[in-house]
Amino acid sequence: MTFRHKLLAVFSLTVFLSVAAVAWLVSAMTRRAFDKADNDRTAALVTQFQREFERQGAEVVRRVETVTASDAVTRMATMLNRTSTDSSGYFELAKSLADSYQLDFLEFVDARGNIISSAQWPAKFGYPETAFESLSSSDKQPAFLKQEEVQDSTALGLFAVRASHVGDRPIYVMGGRRLDKNFLSGLVTPSDSRALLYQNRGDRFSSDLLVEPASGNTPLSDPRSVDKFAPIIQAVRQSNQEMAGVIHWSADQADDELFHAVPLRGNGSEHPLLGILLVGNSRRSYVELKRHIRDSALLVGSGGIVLAILLSSWAAARVTRRVEQLALAAQEVTAGNWNARVDASGDDEVAQLAGSFNRMTAELLNQKERLVQTERVAAWRELARRLAHELKNPLFPLQLTVENLLRARQSDSNQFDEVFRESARTLLAEISNLKGIIGRFSEFSRMPQPQLQDVQINDILRAVAQLFRAQLQAPGRPPIACHLDLDDELRTIAADPELVHRALSNLVLNAMDAMPNGGALTLRSDREDGKIIIEVADTGSGLTPEECERIFTPYYTTKQHGTGLGLAIVQSVVSDHGGRISVQSQPGRGTTFVIELPRNPDTLRIVPAASEVSQSNG
Amino acid sequence: MKRFAWPSLVISSLLAAALAAAETRPQYGGTLHVAMRAAPATLDPSDSTQTDSFTRRNLTLLIFETLLTTDSSGRMHPALALSWQAALGNQRWQFRLRRDVKFHDGTALTAEIAAASLRAANPSWKVFAEGDSVVIECETNDPEVPGELALPRNSIVKRNPDGKPSGTGPFHIVDWQPAKKLTLAAEENYWGGRPFLDAIEIEVGKNYHDQSIALELGRADLVEVAPEQVHRASIDGRHVSSSEPMELVALLFARDATTPEEKLLREALALSVERASMRSVLLQGAGQPAPSILPTWMSGYGFVFPAETDLPRARHLRDQVRGVTTWTIAYDSSDPIARLLAERVALNARDAGLSLQPAATPAADVRVVRIPLAAADPWIALANVGPVIGLPAPKINGGSAEDLYSAEQSLLATRRLIPLFHLPATYAAAGTLRNWKPGPDGSWSLADAWLENEKQ
Repeated sequence: MTFRHKLLAVFSLTVFLSVAAVAWLVSAMTRRAFDKADNDRTAALVTQFQREFERQGAEVVRRVETVTASDAVTRMATMLNRTSTDSSGYFELAKSLADSYQLDFLEFVDARGNIISSAQWPAKFGYPETAFESLSSSDKQPAFLKQEEVQDSTALGLFAVRASHVGDRPIYVMGGRRLDKNFLSGLVTPSDSRALLYQNRGDRFSSDLLVEPASGNTPLSDPRSVDKFAPIIQAVRQSNQEMAGVIHWSADQADDELFHAVPLRGNGSEHPLLGILLVGNSRRSYVELKRHIRDSALLVGSGGIVLAILLSSWAAARVTRRVEQLALAAQEVTAGNWNARVDASGDDEVAQLAGSFNRMTAELLNQKERLVQTERVAAWRELARRLAHELKNPLFPLQLTVENLLRARQSDSNQFDEVFRESARTLLAEISNLKGIIGRFSEFSRMPQPQLQDVQINDILRAVAQLFRAQLQAPGRPPIACHLDLDDELRTIAADPELVHRALSNLVLNAMDAMPNGGALTLRSDREDGKIIIEVADTGSGLTPEECERIFTPYYTTKQHGTGLGLAIVQSVVSDHGGRISVQSQPGRGTTFVIELPRNPDTLRIVPAASEVSQSNG
Repeated sequence: MKRFAWPSLVISSLLAAALAAAETRPQYGGTLHVAMRAAPATLDPSDSTQTDSFTRRNLTLLIFETLLTTDSSGRMHPALALSWQAALGNQRWQFRLRRDVKFHDGTALTAEIAAASLRAANPSWKVFAEGDSVVIECETNDPEVPGELALPRNSIVKRNPDGKPSGTGPFHIVDWQPAKKLTLAAEENYWGGRPFLDAIEIEVGKNYHDQSIALELGRADLVEVAPEQVHRASIDGRHVSSSEPMELVALLFARDATTPEEKLLREALALSVERASMRSVLLQGAGQPAPSILPTWMSGYGFVFPAETDLPRARHLRDQVRGVTTWTIAYDSSDPIARLLAERVALNARDAGLSLQPAATPAADVRVVRIPLAAADPWIALANVGPVIGLPAPKINGGSAEDLYSAEQSLLATRRLIPLFHLPATYAAAGTLRNWKPGPDGSWSLADAWLENEKQ
């Protein structure tokens, strides 16, 4: 990833995170505000229910008082205070008065607590009223919650008790209204709210005990839906405190409802939990608002990101353009173009960096030129030294031979002739030697360009081994074992077989010279990263690090009669094939020359002409 | 002053006596309006698919007649049969028919028609005509054949090709709208003499409340009165008349008790029922608590059966059975007292540790039923209870009260039936309906009733 792309990614990420943070912040604030509004609305609804509860209770009290004061009850109380009158004649009175006064529950109970007449369970006459002992018939006694057993179930109702004191034996009138669908329907709730009632009976949650309004929101016809109330009901039953929870009606969160469960307690010392009021608020408006915020955030975020990418691209391009120029210039320098320069205008850090780069490359170029001049001088000096050395050796015999001829001139002719012939041979031999020396220098200066063709390196290595096999095992000298370690799956490469053969032959000759006491010569081929690796290793005396550094320098030799051109020729051949050669050696442990050649001609063409020589010590 | 006063007093007395005599003199004409709760779908007396009731019997006997009739003491009297005699030890009965009796369509009554009618009503009987007589041959000694023939379901019916039945009774059918209304007209050629009433319009399927209102508004002259309303109706000044307690209210189990445990539970239920409080409150004093199938006035031994509640023993019996069995107790939803009885029985049962769930459903473990006893004759009444409750008729080995008791005891021992009450059939009549009183068995006998002038 480029610096520009990184910069672009950083800018975009920064914008995205900023937008996301803002969206989250807005969402959180919205949720908090909605929760507050929801709590306020629920509290208002609960308060309304309590007011409605009190109003209904007051209405129940009023109706029960009216019934108690009615002529029928007064007449009944009067008659029942007569010892001879039984109560069977009033069996249906509760039912008729309950219908008249619109009470769901109405019972007349005698002074002993036995039911005279019951509207809600007519057949229960004569049975004791179970709640008789805990009831108060005080005129100030408000309405209270009570679970009333009826024929086939138990109902929750709002009750009031009053007494008719006509004679010595009062008649108690217990009336009430059922907390049922109609009661809940009477509660005025907002359009997206509703109130349900759970009648707390038994040990476990039962869907049959949940009462919903007769009209209004979606009825809970599916028992599985009703069962979703079980956790919050159980929680209230266990804690006996108000609880809240969200009920998920479907996979769509908009259908969720937040329910507040308010315990409804009855009279008595223990204040038993008789019912649980469930006030539900639809989460639809909240979810839709949240979705709107999310969609807006996504839209704004997406737009911001696109804008940020565009702006970041522009900004990154401005910032990174000179850095990229620096990088390109550095690559050119790396590639050998030491004349690379960058624009150093401006006064910021990048401009300072560009100026430093320009100065650095200029300094490097100067140093290189100085180094080249120094090396050129050194090379000329070495060449002169070698030439002097090479030429001095044959010149000395020539001088001696000519001096012998001069001295022989003064001798008799026979002796002179013999000396002359002898000197002439010597002169010719030395002159031939001089010509050979000059020829080798001439040959080095005229190294031919490789004629590339498909070459199997293993074949060349085998040919070289075969060529020198006789010399390696020549009698009179310590034997040198020749080993071939070839990669059989080596593919052909584009190379000049004669030049490669010559280079390898030079390396074998060097190896033989390095092993005057015998040893082992190993010729090895291998593959590595699309290249052919050729190794020529000996077990000879080895080279010092200084020798390794200079061993490829023309005319440098470690041998007494060497020209110093053998390895230079090898390096020249390898370089002309786009490869490179290196040497690994330690004194006393032998030397290994490693040649790396590219496999195909395409690679060969793009390789720079200058060869790279890496040298390292084992 | 004295001379003037005495003659005036005498004249006034004579005028009053004359007016009174004029009021009690039978008058022909008028249409009697009757309302009733039962809603029969057919008028065929032998249709056993219809629920038996006093009202249905009375409808039948307005149109059809039996060979014999019984009086309040159970004695047999000639009707369509003038005489009868038994032979072969009560195994062969011969009934000689009254002559010159005609069906409403003008067809003369013959022995063949009468035999065919009886065969249709009693497929197991061997009945055939022999001259002007109908002969019934039984496989065993059966002294109750005359009593059986007095039952309304054994009325002589001539079935016409169009399917409409024709009878020989004092009234013939003018219009019949099943389960809605029946209009009858006096049969001019009735062998017993033309009825006083010209016509009778009977509205069926009317509940007690509607009947009471109809009587109050003058739209009905004769209505039924619910047992619990009898006391109230009397207080309100209605002309209320009741039969003897002829209707058995009972708990009827849908199946036999198959295990000893179930028998214990049923006995516990029977012991837990508070008949006295139910009668005094729910029935407002009407009827009689009934621990037996036959009422005491009929059998004479009803007091032998314990009617009191024995809750400790009921609990003891209940505790002998492990587990809780919940029975459903059903009632006729159109019968208000049946529901209250069912609920009260369920309450009583709960006190004994039993669980009964009242429900107005046809399929139930136990049901509150009303069984109109077939006749005032206890033998015939008991014999007909068995088939009604799904059991074979009890075998009565003799004609003594002990034999009758044994047969009833064996029927009760099945634990299929728990008697609760015996209720009378009670009617309220308008003040203009004269010479009418229901029989001890709840029969109407409207052939002799008449209406005062203002109703004509």
